[in-house]
Amino acid sequence: MRRRAILLLAAVLGFNGPAWAATDLAAAIKQRLVEAPVLRGEFEQSKQVQGFAKPLVSRGSFVVARERGVLWLTKTPFASQLRLTRDEIVATQNGAVAFRLDAGKEPAVRVINGLMFSLLNGDLGGLAELFKLDGTADAGKGWQLSLTPRQSALARLMSSIELSGDSYVRSIRIDEANGDRTVIRFSGQSSEPTKLSAEEAGRFDQ
Amino acid sequence: MTSKRLIRVRAWAWLALVLAIAVHVAWLLLGNRLQLDTDVLAMLPQDERQPAVQQATRALADAAARRVVVLVGGADWTGARRGADAYAAELKKSAAPVALRYEVGDEAAGQFLDFYRAYRAQLLTPAQRRQLETQPPAALAQQAVEQLYRPVGVPRIGSFAEDPLNLFGGWLGERAADSKVRVTEGRLSVIDAGGKAYAVLLLELQNSGFSMAAQQALVPVLERAREAALATVPGLAVLNAGIPLHAAAAASQAEREIHTIGLGSLAGIVVLTLFAFNAIRPRLLVTLSICIGLLAAVSVSSLLFGKLHMITLVFGASLVGVAENYGSNYFSSRAGRPFGERFAMLAEQAPVMWLAMLTTAIGYALLALTPFPGLRQIAVFSVVGLLAAFVTTLWWFPVLDAGEMPFTRFSRWLGSRRALWPALGRNRFTLAGALLLGALLLAGAARLHADDDIRSLQNSPPALIAQQRAVGALMDMASPAQFYLVRGDTEEQVLQREEALKAAVAQAGGQAQAVSDWLPSQAQQRRDAALIGRADAAVLAAARTLLDEPLAVPAPHEFKALLPADWLAAPASEPLRHQWLGRFGDAGYASVVMLRGVTDLAALPRFAAVELTGVRWVDKVGEVSAVMARTRALMAWVIVVSYALVFAALSWRFGHRAWRALAPTLIASALALALPALAGQPLQLFNVLALLLILGMGVDYGIFMLEQPARDAIRPFLSVSLAAASTLLAFGLLALSATPALRAFGLTMLLGIGFAWALTPFFMKDKHANRTD
Repeated sequence: MRRRAILLLAAVLGFNGPAWAATDLAAAIKQRLVEAPVLRGEFEQSKQVQGFAKPLVSRGSFVVARERGVLWLTKTPFASQLRLTRDEIVATQNGAVAFRLDAGKEPAVRVINGLMFSLLNGDLGGLAELFKLDGTADAGKGWQLSLTPRQSALARLMSSIELSGDSYVRSIRIDEANGDRTVIRFSGQSSEPTKLSAEEAGRFDQ
Repeated sequence: MTSKRLIRVRAWAWLALVLAIAVHVAWLLLGNRLQLDTDVLAMLPQDERQPAVQQATRALADAAARRVVVLVGGADWTGARRGADAYAAELKKSAAPVALRYEVGDEAAGQFLDFYRAYRAQLLTPAQRRQLETQPPAALAQQAVEQLYRPVGVPRIGSFAEDPLNLFGGWLGERAADSKVRVTEGRLSVIDAGGKAYAVLLLELQNSGFSMAAQQALVPVLERAREAALATVPGLAVLNAGIPLHAAAAASQAEREIHTIGLGSLAGIVVLTLFAFNAIRPRLLVTLSICIGLLAAVSVSSLLFGKLHMITLVFGASLVGVAENYGSNYFSSRAGRPFGERFAMLAEQAPVMWLAMLTTAIGYALLALTPFPGLRQIAVFSVVGLLAAFVTTLWWFPVLDAGEMPFTRFSRWLGSRRALWPALGRNRFTLAGALLLGALLLAGAARLHADDDIRSLQNSPPALIAQQRAVGALMDMASPAQFYLVRGDTEEQVLQREEALKAAVAQAGGQAQAVSDWLPSQAQQRRDAALIGRADAAVLAAARTLLDEPLAVPAPHEFKALLPADWLAAPASEPLRHQWLGRFGDAGYASVVMLRGVTDLAALPRFAAVELTGVRWVDKVGEVSAVMARTRALMAWVIVVSYALVFAALSWRFGHRAWRALAPTLIASALALALPALAGQPLQLFNVLALLLILGMGVDYGIFMLEQPARDAIRPFLSVSLAAASTLLAFGLLALSATPALRAFGLTMLLGIGFAWALTPFFMKDKHANRTD
């Protein structure tokens, strides 16, 4: 999951879609997923960019806090932090702000952050607004889901998103319309402790 | 017999003239040749008028006067969309002459992108420009790489090597942020700070719809559409905003008031006449005299000035209303005398009536000496109207009049009420009255304050104003009330001046909305292209090392200037096109730069202070308010001088008794200022205008009564009372109006005329039964 995939050209889009009743599939997946106020885990992101010989691989950890938003902490190949809250998206590198987008200026920020939250949490209700859902839930705990954009504006940016997991989302694959592909694998997810640590809260408060 | 002949000749001659005037006015009206000026700034002297500013304001105002914005909001987007779809369907069904913009194809976004793609490496936002100018390539490369790894960011158009810093994406993002409106499911939408979704419907009245009637016709159509939306999804919020709605509300209110106040006052005047004279003829003749006065005024003014100002019509028509006094005096004088004596009576009354007319005309004519063309027009209009009405009274009334007219019981009763007033003198009653009056006037003077801000005349229903505010905040619309007019010899110069202006506005803490945001000057494009070219090459080289990737150098960007003609022709220019005025005036080009998000009016002086070559700050609201203030001050001086001249005219006829005719009016006017001031009402142009009328009318009361001051004289007081009652019914009832300007005018008239009538008998001394001492 990634940059282009999510933040869309603002003039063009804004998402906001129908919250359609959960399908049987969605209900089945929802049942398997752990719902928690705070979700933490590790990620490994591999991004294949057109014109690049090697994939760009980065690793780090993430925090999804229901009340606050999402923290995406890259550790390698270099340290950086991305914070998505209700009102803004802020990227910091070496303590300096590298990028900031304000929901007051760009209303799509709220939607983007909602989408990020939904993807990491496997919140199908949120995703169904933007995508057609298709997939399978096997007899055990596993499930796969494939998402196709409902709106052509979104389709111009990404062709599909694939999700798979069990009680957590374990991997996301995003295929962009321009041929770039991003695969993110998650591991070590946990919903304990249910409160943010002082350090995590501090990152949200910055 | 010669005098009979003279009377006939005069009547026929006047008929010929009146017919000529009537034909002229009919020609003007039927051929739509009567040009009405509605712009208050046209009242200003020519050299202050600045046609360029007027042209620009009009261009903006005309566009704004056609637009209505409707927002349909729901708890979620689906509800809002379904409601708005029903709204749009109902609107289409109504076949109202409006163009609706609501559903837009997805291809619009593509067009926008495709248009700018060709110019991508020559466009920078101010922040990007600063970044490229100040940061070393190594730091920029770091950012480029960080961006590449980031899971969320601005979408990149094209490959990394072509635009490693994604400057084009950032530029497009900033353009998008210029508007809050987005496309959702092929429909215009906006999301508020709380995440509530609104569907946006943009309505534009079509050509034929640019009229009061069409604006009013729109209101029920919108109401039905609103009901259709609410029937589909109950609980939706439907917000309307737009000048046509305010105009329609004002027109409906005026109509309602004409129906209530207007009919009420007409009925009152007719009943009064019937009671006083037992006949309808006096009322018909008085009305006829005023109508002829108005026709003559319109005819002569349009011949002299080419076009008439709306304000001239409104104010002038009121001023001509003083002619009421002459008709009233004629019929009161005639009451109780044999029909055959009317010519002799008129010959006797004529000098007094002339004096009454002249004292009024003096004040009106003085308006012509002010440097304001607007006031001059009012002067000509009202003097001509007054004169024509007066001549009609003098030359036609005895001819058109018929039958005996004995005193009715009512007229005898009314006229004889005069005896109830004691005369002033050296007594306790006079002293107490004077002290009370002095205290009132002093207290009023202490609290008197002027307010010429035309916003205080704002009269729209509160609900409509609240909706307008809500829509303005949601859509973050720039206000058309204040703007900069930017002019230059060439299009390029206009754009360069815009760029300098934007920097100055940013310095002043504001945010400008300008064509050059979307269409930078060629000079700027070239500078940016050079800056981008240098930075990209360095960043790419550094990124190659950082990423350990043999990134191929892309083909160099070919500079092709984005020109105004191309931009204007592209759909991408639609949102800002109205700010580009293009070829402007006699020479050169112009554009309008607006301010966004100015909620604090106190901040306006900061922006007004921005001074640059070719740039002019235009504050229509402020300027109109200033015109009102200057007009008010000028009129006040005219009134002061009028009092002096009227006093001189009165002295010529009444000698040292002249003050007795003037004092009641002076005191009445002072009270008409002081009492509202005590109640906290500000002084406005409309109050001062009323003072001029009070002088014109009130002095007539003094003249008619001073002419025959005997306590037992019936006719003078009958005449004065009937005239005052008619005036109060015609103008004083306006105090009930909900329109602030009319209310201010009406209240002053009510107090001024009321007091002038009530005070005049106090100042008459019975001993002076004869004309002169």
